[in-house]
Amino acid sequence: MALFLQLLVVGLSAGAVYALIALGYTMVYGIIELINFAHGDIFMMGSFITIALLNLVGISDTSHPTGLTLVSVLLVACLGSMLICSALGVLIERIAYRPLRNAPRLAPLISAIGVSLILEDLGKLWKGNQFIAFPLGIHEMFLQTGISLGPVSIDSGSILVIVVALVLMVALQWMVTRTRIGRAMRAVAQDREAAALMGVNVDRIIAFTFFVGAGLAGAAGFIYCLEKGTTIFSVGFELGLFAFTAAVLGGIGNLVGAMIGGVMIGIIEALASLIPDSYVTHGLGLPHGGSPWHDAIIFAVLILILIFRPTGLLGQRTPEKA
Amino acid sequence: MSASMSNRLLLPANDTRVLLIKWVVALLVPVVVFTLWSGESIVNAVISPQTSSLGISTDPVALLAAAIFVTVFYASTITLAGYLVAADSGRRGIIELWIDVFIFTLVPLILVVIFHDLILGLALCAVVWPVYFFVRGRVRKARHYIPPPPLESLEVLDVGERSILISRATAGGFWFGTAFAVVTLITDLVYFVTGSLPTLLLIWALIRTLVLPIAGYFLGRLAGVIALRRTLAAKGNGGNGANRVGNGIGTSLRQQLEVLSTTRAREEAKDLVPNDLPLRSTGAQRFYLILLGAFVLFYPILDPFLFGSGTDGRLANYGDAGRYVILALGLNIVVGFAGLLDLGYVAFFAIGAYTWGLIGSPQLGFLTGIVVNPQLWPWFFWPMVLGAALIAAFWGVLLGAPTLRLRGDYLAIVTLGFGEIVPIVFLELDNITRGANGIIGVYSPNFPGVLWTGFTPTPYYYLILALIALTIFANIRLRDSRLGRAWIAIREDEIAAASSGVNLVRTKLFAFGAGAFFAGIAGVYHAAKLGVVSPDNFSFGDSVIYLAMVVIGGIGSIPGVIVGALAVYAINELVLPQLDTFAADPSSVFFTIKSSIIHFAPGFTYGSVRNLIFGIILVVIMIFRPEGLLPSARRRRELHAATGGAEMGALDVVPGAPGFEEEVRVD
Repeated sequence: MALFLQLLVVGLSAGAVYALIALGYTMVYGIIELINFAHGDIFMMGSFITIALLNLVGISDTSHPTGLTLVSVLLVACLGSMLICSALGVLIERIAYRPLRNAPRLAPLISAIGVSLILEDLGKLWKGNQFIAFPLGIHEMFLQTGISLGPVSIDSGSILVIVVALVLMVALQWMVTRTRIGRAMRAVAQDREAAALMGVNVDRIIAFTFFVGAGLAGAAGFIYCLEKGTTIFSVGFELGLFAFTAAVLGGIGNLVGAMIGGVMIGIIEALASLIPDSYVTHGLGLPHGGSPWHDAIIFAVLILILIFRPTGLLGQRTPEKA
Repeated sequence: MSASMSNRLLLPANDTRVLLIKWVVALLVPVVVFTLWSGESIVNAVISPQTSSLGISTDPVALLAAAIFVTVFYASTITLAGYLVAADSGRRGIIELWIDVFIFTLVPLILVVIFHDLILGLALCAVVWPVYFFVRGRVRKARHYIPPPPLESLEVLDVGERSILISRATAGGFWFGTAFAVVTLITDLVYFVTGSLPTLLLIWALIRTLVLPIAGYFLGRLAGVIALRRTLAAKGNGGNGANRVGNGIGTSLRQQLEVLSTTRAREEAKDLVPNDLPLRSTGAQRFYLILLGAFVLFYPILDPFLFGSGTDGRLANYGDAGRYVILALGLNIVVGFAGLLDLGYVAFFAIGAYTWGLIGSPQLGFLTGIVVNPQLWPWFFWPMVLGAALIAAFWGVLLGAPTLRLRGDYLAIVTLGFGEIVPIVFLELDNITRGANGIIGVYSPNFPGVLWTGFTPTPYYYLILALIALTIFANIRLRDSRLGRAWIAIREDEIAAASSGVNLVRTKLFAFGAGAFFAGIAGVYHAAKLGVVSPDNFSFGDSVIYLAMVVIGGIGSIPGVIVGALAVYAINELVLPQLDTFAADPSSVFFTIKSSIIHFAPGFTYGSVRNLIFGIILVVIMIFRPEGLLPSARRRRELHAATGGAEMGALDVVPGAPGFEEEVRVD
């Protein structure tokens, strides 16, 4: 039972990352019905930018900032990653997707795959074909402190991850449901032409959606680094796939669904590591360890859920898209 | 359509000269380029094998095949010239046509000659053409270009007009033959004067000069007969073949067409003679098919003439390219015809490969204890092509059955999941499939009198050719069948299709099954050719590549998908991995680019940015040509309908034309 609860915590913090990425998928899908394959790679870029920014402000493996320094350093990394990723997202939308706004449905999809390949290779060019490490001092500090609830211990890294993710999700939900621009986003998602007739600047709203979605991916990159301690150029593809699965699981186009789906995927993945690995010595080296079966299990769960709820968990109950 | 339109738009007889210049030049230039490049050396090798300097085998069978190819090639180009002269309505400008011919025949030819590789040249065309389409579109828009209204060529020609057509075709064939004979004679004389032409070939050159015009005359007449056949019968849409016979067809077709939109009429009219776009007419397409068929069939013999040594390596590459063609055509059924997005198509390919891998290798003995004779067992390959395809189709249906309630992109993610699960299962069931090590020693097929080893690609070339032919045939028949129409109906509007009596579940299941079937065929071929089956050939990235092939080629269009498959294969598997080799040559443009980049990024190689370049190419092609290289006519129509707003051509009378005012006036 203790193991189970411990895995639940692990799954929750992993799920927070999935959920943040999934939000970007679901927002873009909701507004232009495009599976934005490049989104996972924006997340990867976010994780690279986080580490690059930390190195830039002088944090090395041996530095142990505390107090206000620590907070400001992390804020710089997180906000910087979000902002740069947002800019990247808007740029991609402008170059690769906007010219295809009225093209056949699959054309932007291929374009997105192209962008994904481009970003992946850019990441490889930038940081090379190896794992790159989050500054060790901070990472260890987060791993070693923490709280214990009975048999379960939660390190402060996981707490921070969950807190950041929660804050962002609440902020997003508030923005989409309560602000003017959120209303415009929902309007464009429902009916682009009608929204345009009502005076909504559709191009700007779509660009803004990419801005927000990519920003969340940047934040996900930050908390992913914080949690795992390392990152690699191919992480965008792997996690992007699961995050997209999470978005579909929750009902694509639905924000709350994406959050729930992300957490579910994280937990399923953590629990899947209970299954003994029949092929420990296999040579493929899946990037995030654990049982290689967990890919199969995640997709099997997805297929099962979709068979019984064809539009995802929350797809029907709240048909509004954002 | 207004009845005031004139019956027939045959040009007056004295304008034939314009047509002759137009078409003789348009055809002569590419044919001469081809001849100078290698056609001549093939002929020379056939006439006097001893003098051939290329060191090509003097095997009589090969020479006979080369002779057949040369005869077919030149005879059909001459006939084509006659046909085109007869079939042209003369309403399209000369320059426009010449630019088109330049872009679509000369550019590929020159690229192939320069880069010394067939598929590579074609792949570069896949980049050049979208840019050309884009520029042409822009230019037309800027010049307010309106395509000429469709020709009303639906009536039966009278006797006089028929004889005009025949004489035109004859003149076309004759003058083309003469012009070609003169050009080649001059070249040969130059060679003779410089002393590099043996006397035997000079005699041949003189004979040829006499024979070509005569042959041109008769082939031109033949072309006229072929063209005349097209003046009568429009291609019926589907099974109404009864309309094809007799004189009454003119009126009944006319009635049919009057209710169709003008866009549609323009498409129907391309089957007829005379024609605004004779190069694209159904009659001309027959000639292209003959040329292409001859080329593909005799390719292993022609290759040394075209590119010199290294035939085996190229043939092996083309064999691989063929596998992609089959996969793309199979995926086209699911994505292109039925409109179901499939992101896990590689799973069926893997199932096909593992089927033959497990049955057609010593692994069968290890698993079941059945001892098979390794001399005889490879015969089992032939039934297993069908068997594995059926197994893959079964899995396709099995996957489809529970997921058909899903709409659009939910289906996509389920197929994606399936595509991820299947290779993992093959990887993890290591006691059956030997896991990551893969199954080795998979048998090659067996056939009497043919030596199948990994080092002789020719049998595999013909095998894949036969499989492709089968696939294309099946695809065309499927598309035109009741089932195919049901698929397209589902793609266009699922609800409307269902209310028209299309059984959604069964139709979609058939689409999944048929798509998977062809993936299974490709899988068996892959396993037999490679001799190894291991799970790392079946990743999500592969599914994405197949999808890119279908979309870049033109969704739902069979020729488009074939071109797309070849182009993407060539870019991704032939060009990009070789960029570093190209860059090693200091005279190439890649070397220059590399040396300028290396200042900023030390240790830069093209290998490290392979995906980057591929990604950029994908984005560029999609932005310049979102509907794909060769979109199907129906698809193009759908797109025009989707963008909203009536297109110009949809009006019965084009603005500015006489009669427009009456047509649009509301009383």
